[in-house]
Amino acid sequence: MPIKISPLSKKSPPLSTVGFWVVLAAVALWPVLCGFNPYALRVAGQIGLYVVLALGLNFTLGYAGLFDLGFIAFYAVGAYTAALLSVRGWSFVPATLAAALAAVVVRVWVGIPILRLRGDYLAIVTMGFGEIARLVLNNWDSLTNGPKGLPRVGEAIWPAKIFGFTLSTNTHYYYLIMGAVLLSVLIARRLEDSRLGRAWVAIREDETAAQLSGLPVAQLKLAAFTISAFFAGLAGSIFAHWERFVTPESFVFWESILLVSMIVAGGMGSIKGVILGTVLLGGVPQMLQAVLVGSQWINYRYFVFGLVLVLAVLFRPQGLWPSRRREFEILDQEHAAV
Amino acid sequence: MHPLLRAVCLGLLAALPVACTQKSKTVRIAVSVPLTGDVGTEGQGVRRAVELAVEEANKSGRFPFPLEARAFDDRADPKEAVSAANLVASDPNIVAVIGHYNSGCSIPAAQVYARSGIPMISPASTNPKLTSQQLEESWVLPKTVFRVVPTDDVQGSFAGDFIFDKLNMRKIAVIHDKTPYGQGLAEQFKDRFSGRGGQITSFDGIAMGDRDFKALLTRIKADKPQGVYFGGLYMEAALLMRQAQELGFKTTFFSGDGSKTNELIKVAGKASEGAYLSITGIPVEHLASAKPFLEKYNEKYPGVDVKPFDHFAYEATNIVLDALTKVGPDRAKVLEELRRTRFEGILGVTEFDDKGDTKNKIITMTQVKNGEFAIVN
Amino acid sequence: MLVFLQQLFNGLVLGSIYSLIALGYTLVYGILMMINFAHSEFLMIGAFMGLGASSLCLNWGLGWPGVVIVFFAAMLGAGLLGVITERLAYRPLRHAMRLAPLISAIGVSIMLSNAVFLWVSNQSLPFPAILPERSLTIGPVAAGSLQLLIFATALLLMIVLHLMVQKTKIGKAMRACADDTATAGLMGINADRIIAFTFLVGGALAGAAGVLNGMYYGSIKYNLGFLPGVKAFTAAVLGGIGNITGAVLGGFLLGLLEVAAAGYIPNGSQWKDVVAFVVLIGVLLIRPSGILGERVAEKV
Repeated sequence: MPIKISPLSKKSPPLSTVGFWVVLAAVALWPVLCGFNPYALRVAGQIGLYVVLALGLNFTLGYAGLFDLGFIAFYAVGAYTAALLSVRGWSFVPATLAAALAAVVVRVWVGIPILRLRGDYLAIVTMGFGEIARLVLNNWDSLTNGPKGLPRVGEAIWPAKIFGFTLSTNTHYYYLIMGAVLLSVLIARRLEDSRLGRAWVAIREDETAAQLSGLPVAQLKLAAFTISAFFAGLAGSIFAHWERFVTPESFVFWESILLVSMIVAGGMGSIKGVILGTVLLGGVPQMLQAVLVGSQWINYRYFVFGLVLVLAVLFRPQGLWPSRRREFEILDQEHAAV
Repeated sequence: MHPLLRAVCLGLLAALPVACTQKSKTVRIAVSVPLTGDVGTEGQGVRRAVELAVEEANKSGRFPFPLEARAFDDRADPKEAVSAANLVASDPNIVAVIGHYNSGCSIPAAQVYARSGIPMISPASTNPKLTSQQLEESWVLPKTVFRVVPTDDVQGSFAGDFIFDKLNMRKIAVIHDKTPYGQGLAEQFKDRFSGRGGQITSFDGIAMGDRDFKALLTRIKADKPQGVYFGGLYMEAALLMRQAQELGFKTTFFSGDGSKTNELIKVAGKASEGAYLSITGIPVEHLASAKPFLEKYNEKYPGVDVKPFDHFAYEATNIVLDALTKVGPDRAKVLEELRRTRFEGILGVTEFDDKGDTKNKIITMTQVKNGEFAIVN
Repeated sequence: MLVFLQQLFNGLVLGSIYSLIALGYTLVYGILMMINFAHSEFLMIGAFMGLGASSLCLNWGLGWPGVVIVFFAAMLGAGLLGVITERLAYRPLRHAMRLAPLISAIGVSIMLSNAVFLWVSNQSLPFPAILPERSLTIGPVAAGSLQLLIFATALLLMIVLHLMVQKTKIGKAMRACADDTATAGLMGINADRIIAFTFLVGGALAGAAGVLNGMYYGSIKYNLGFLPGVKAFTAAVLGGIGNITGAVLGGFLLGLLEVAAAGYIPNGSQWKDVVAFVVLIGVLLIRPSGILGERVAEKV
């Protein structure tokens, strides 16, 4: 499998070390820094869940270049699986594993037939699946309780319990989510420069050429699909246990669009970029809520959000913090265009 | 990373805790509803009603402290609702919450308020789970949830009896909008009406936000029902009436309080003539105590229609204000007071049962006559 | 049989609105290969422009000429909005990677609907009927005069568009740009101007669809564009995105499909979108570029 990406096969440079440790310390000490403010913890946890989702989607969209507009469906599968099992007495860890497995199984089942579609046709089909998933959750009343959500009256999702420790506060969930973020970052880092990661990039850059180079394109795409679904299922289960109530309202098309925007605005295929994009786009509306509360300006928060989105791409079309590999490609494209 | 970017990010992180720990001596009532997004129209209505009630209270001079209605935006998104609830919980000056709008938002947010001991009164969420979750074994928190809007079971059954007994109809088609409110209403109606021996010719859900129902109506028309019962909100109700008329489908429409707005008549026009709409309590325009509400509302917000749940929000706010007059600005005391509340307002007399649901289950049937709602029972 | 004819008519009217919106997506996609997410907001803004114009025309007591004025105002307004959006939010990204303009379009879409929510109205506004509505019965089919007007207007606009693209010089230039913008530029075609013109036309079609939407359903709101936008985009892909005939075909097909699902499957009205998407996926699995689309090499 000779893929030559000569100046790029060098390891990507270490994260600027000081900055890295500062960020890590800030994340670890965040509850103390914000004085255990429930809102700051809640928002940070919510952004953390988005980071897990975005890093997951980044395998499909960022590395393999498969334009997926229905990713939230697998988050929904994870959340609903966890909710349904928790109600039946499953505890957090097995329910989460089952949720991740369910998301992966559905993803593979959906993925196999549609992998030969390209570009925007894939986007519309995945959007279709996303909507189908939401509608099925909303319409299949006997299983999902329809629009009324889970659990039903008289049932309960129990708080997450890990090794006998019950997670009860926002701080607990904050650390659980940050653990999941760390896991996602580690997996993403390991895969990024592996043969698998480079093969995905080869497909993204030129599928035909990758195929001609002997890459098993279909299997590789399916691998990207599968790994991303694992992240979605994991995040879904944490979400269900944290919220302890799930309804189809949480899994609308808008959420899939938001995830794609986070990745593209941050920098496709760049872990740092994706995290930055997620923090920015996930954080702006919440920060505005906190700052503008008590004034009429609170009505403006999504207008501002739209503005931030447009300005972010206009000024950094390659993403706020693109991967080096990607930067080279963009240079290449510019040469080609001239 | 670009230094400017870094500064922005750090600023963003730093702004969060600073922003949520502002202090002031004003007593606040939070109103957590969708202020933006698809349901923003309805949420803004609730906010207006709460602000109106608070403004009146300030003017009346019966409080030694200034009051403020503080609006939070949940965008009708459950996770944003929980976030907003956490923001409410970080403000010690908030004594109670009016909200949320959607049941999907109210149910998870209620846990956050309970943890902080903040009383919450929902003016619009009708899913029984909202209050019943407090009786469950897993609920280890104080019971802080109330609602002034009756759960779906009351109205649907009332309409079932009304249509069966008073109108002597036996064949009804049912449509609902696939929301907890609309579907709940429709299911209750269906159970009661078919339990009485009536025939439900069809039972269909529609998609919220959809605007073309001609295909469905054409199919329903073929069954020749005597009436159509719709569980849902005014916009879909108006479109159904309009499109039925365009199809030459002559039938009587029935719906609940979510449809009883002036906008229904404006959009549906003549097609709404003769339609029956049940509402909880006594209709505001026929209750002496409620007239001032409508007048003040129209005066303060000219050109804006009262939305279906605005008078519930106004009532909920006044219940909180009443408790505040009695016990002062203290969350725990307000909560205690709400449990034994007996408030006479625009909905009639409101008392809460042990779950926190209103005991006021009076239903009134209205009918559209000459472009206005008239009481018919 | 009677019911079937009525349903067929329902489907054709719905389909004609979808087609009109789908054309805007397809025109832009054909040239720029981008999904113009803000297209649904052009529709919404067009509807609001139409509402403003309708109120004026009603005051002046204009009948048929009023209808023409309303359409003209909405089409011009939405078309210009399209041109401005392209200039400010898309053109700077023309040589960026393919998803950048998409994100920009999403941002524009959010801004536009929120702008209307904030500064125009957050209420649903009744859309006045300019012409008195009449119920006609053609054989067994109940057809409102409004429905016939919608159907006729949509068809007329589609024919005009077809003639413009196929027969005029600027249409030829559009087709050339769609084929290969760079080469078209070398042949002396001002690509920027053609792209701006495409947005003008696409926006105008959306504006017209917005007015039809408002007239048909009797009310408009800041968020009215989203759902028809998604549906029409689906229709455009179903027909083969970038292909004008395909967009029309896809629009009608989707309209008929939805009507068939809601009209003939028990409980179908809540499953009709599922049916539509399943058919879409099925079609794309057999023909990966839509019904009339050509196979093109693509990259994200």
